[in-house]
Amino acid sequence: MHFEHLTSIHQMLLVILGVLVFATVLFLIWKKIKPGAQVDELMTRTKSWWVMASIFAIAALVHPLISFVAFGFLSFAALRELSSISKNARIEDRSVIFWAYLAIPIQYFFAYMGWMLPFLIFIPVFMFTWIPFILVLKGHTQDIARSMSVIPTHLMLTVYSLSHLAYLLSLSIADGGRGLLLYVVFLTEMNDVFQFTWGKLLGRHKIIEKISPNKTWEGFIGGLLSTVLAAILLKFLTPFTTYEAIGAGLLIACTGFVGDIIVSAIKRDFGLKDTGTVIKGHGGILDRMDSLIISAPFFFYYVYLLHIVR
Amino acid sequence: MKHLLLILIYKGVMPLFLKFIGVKITPKKPLQPNMQYIIVANHNSHIDTMALMSSIPLKDLNRTHPVAAATYFGKNSWLAVLSKLFVNTILIKRSEEGGESTALDTLGKFLSKGHSLIIFPEGSRGEPEKMQAFRKGIGVLLQRYPHIPYIPVYIQGTGKILPKGERLIVPYDAIVHFGQPTFCKAQTVEAIVVNVKNEILRLKN
Repeated sequence: MHFEHLTSIHQMLLVILGVLVFATVLFLIWKKIKPGAQVDELMTRTKSWWVMASIFAIAALVHPLISFVAFGFLSFAALRELSSISKNARIEDRSVIFWAYLAIPIQYFFAYMGWMLPFLIFIPVFMFTWIPFILVLKGHTQDIARSMSVIPTHLMLTVYSLSHLAYLLSLSIADGGRGLLLYVVFLTEMNDVFQFTWGKLLGRHKIIEKISPNKTWEGFIGGLLSTVLAAILLKFLTPFTTYEAIGAGLLIACTGFVGDIIVSAIKRDFGLKDTGTVIKGHGGILDRMDSLIISAPFFFYYVYLLHIVR
Repeated sequence: MKHLLLILIYKGVMPLFLKFIGVKITPKKPLQPNMQYIIVANHNSHIDTMALMSSIPLKDLNRTHPVAAATYFGKNSWLAVLSKLFVNTILIKRSEEGGESTALDTLGKFLSKGHSLIIFPEGSRGEPEKMQAFRKGIGVLLQRYPHIPYIPVYIQGTGKILPKGERLIVPYDAIVHFGQPTFCKAQTVEAIVVNVKNEILRLKN
């Protein structure tokens, strides 16, 4: 029993390693053959997959607690990046942003303990009240309404959403949720690549040129179909039936797209699309997490409604 | 003994802490060991000094001194001892406190010994993300020691992490841009100050 358990994790890790090596080699060759091709975005994404995969591997082999800490740090870095580039948070909001950071360990603690209700309400109910309350106590009323809406939104985007990935590991499901975590992260990232690739190959009709000029209907639909196919192929990682896997594929493709353009729009508003980053040499975490920000919670509730609450 | 303490702080604890609160140093290894220089940077936060000291090569830590105002860090003897021990500072009197000539002599003594200095020509931490006028002491010093290069450094974002007058450290992305060792060619003190300021501002873009 113990041996079987180990080998299934090892199998999973081997699959990840294989895919990553394949992707890395593929992109390197692509770049060699067509130096003009814009594969740089894909290359940076592959790099972040290696990081994610390493975290996953260490967590799977050593202790699940490591994943919670790692995702907590990921949320922390994303929140730090968003607070730094945001032109909407005021300098007076420093101490309030400090409170926002303190929410991270608490939210991930709830995820680790598997306390569903506190996990659900802590940020959207408690922090949503606590942050405006502290802002009011501070007494800088100029632009206070803006800070009241911006800081909780930052928390939702970077902490609440990503913590759902960690909570997958607390679900009472056969392999402790590791397969599901791998499934949603892998499919979301693959969906980005599929959409990018199909868009490059066939893209004609732009979806929202003002926000994301590379997004085309051809890319989106091609990505959607490829992701659904991948979702069916990888369903051995999950408790899903084939139909449920098709649904998961559709869900991940659509929500991944939504997350991508939401983050793009935010960045465009901050003037980052054209100038690189506000703080030169920084950034990139949000870029890599953009699709996961929306797909993670949606996928979580999909699993939860289908397989946890009956 | 003191060197060991400085290594422990600036090569052990401090880099981790800086990474956590979001301070990034670029290039990663900005300084060659066994060199003498005067690091000149803009100043918004105590974090600046910590970040610059962490970028000093291990060997050179105990012969690199941030220059600080005696009126601030020498307020009581405790603070003076602590800042000398943990930050390796040299405390000088500001010119308006009548310390101009003695201050330059003190710094000169250290430079003649082959030590390096870290100087914030704005004199004190200003408002976050705003650069104040440069004082002329850096010009006088570089004029007296033209064979010692200065290294311009532009620091961005630390004023949000720990602004003047605040105690709470809040993580924000910040970056420390190191320039190249530069020998000043200008003759007059004023021209040197202008050059140094331009070199620092050039790193901003």
